[in-house]
Amino acid sequence: MEFLLENILNLVGFLVGLAIGIMSYIGFRNTGSPTLFRLTIAFSSISLGFFVIWTGYMVEDFVTKTGSVERWIQTLGIAIQTVGYFFIALSHSIKSFFPKSSYFRSVGIIPLFLVSSVQLEHIFRSVSFILLAYGAIETMLSYFDNKNKGAISVSIGLGLLALGEFVGWYSFVFPESILYSASMIIKIGGLIALFIPVSKVPLTRIKFDDDLE
Amino acid sequence: MIIKCTMAEYRTHMKIIGDILATTRDDLQDEDGASVTYLIRKANISHSRISTILKTLVSQGLLEKVDNHGSNKYKISEPGREFLQAYYTFTNFADDFGLSI
Repeated sequence: MEFLLENILNLVGFLVGLAIGIMSYIGFRNTGSPTLFRLTIAFSSISLGFFVIWTGYMVEDFVTKTGSVERWIQTLGIAIQTVGYFFIALSHSIKSFFPKSSYFRSVGIIPLFLVSSVQLEHIFRSVSFILLAYGAIETMLSYFDNKNKGAISVSIGLGLLALGEFVGWYSFVFPESILYSASMIIKIGGLIALFIPVSKVPLTRIKFDDDLE
Repeated sequence: MIIKCTMAEYRTHMKIIGDILATTRDDLQDEDGASVTYLIRKANISHSRISTILKTLVSQGLLEKVDNHGSNKYKISEPGREFLQAYYTFTNFADDFGLSI
């Protein structure tokens, strides 16, 4: 197995995202809360994004064996994850993410068709970094309001994912350095930190109730 | 227990429902249930808004409407208790993400 760290990261990301997504969905089914619906979309997207990249690495490891994962698979996975990070940030009330002018809205998407998939990946990574940093700061601010210790763990998790994105992006500048491996390990740490508060939810008291819809 | 909110604090629709259900579970006037006036005071909400919410909660089976000598009183039902338990669980879950449900 050539890409051990990548496989661990993407598998952990897939499982953690799936677990939080399912928990949010159960919460949404039980309470009908729009916040939990947004969290469901967010973590389902994050899980799917990691799964796409993990599948890409597995196909490379066992089928194609070319020595590198298909670039478009990597870009697609990161794009899907970015959608998830956007919904986390949206839950923290991003009021005006897109430009208000219809002209800017219409031309804003054009650059996406003018850049290569490598540049697209960098764009998605940059956007992910901003959204994750925003989510981490907002979550930490909420901790100062309600002193909920779980919020510290989530904030650290989102912060580590943001740092991992940043270090990973920087590793393109120094491709042979330890930065790439460091970014993988930081991200795995972030995912574990995200999962800690979710693992403490008392599952035995949660059930679907179709009558409440 | 109902926490009184200041003017600056924003309560979501879900939190208001949680407050109403918590009152009918933990803070009843008597065995027959809580009157609308009592719920208005405890949940700190206008009459027009609480009427709509109570109608919805009764139709969904979370509250039981009891006719008490011509006046309506409200008691929490078993599904209502389960909903309230789920509400508290997922309130904590959302709190972990710095969010309110």
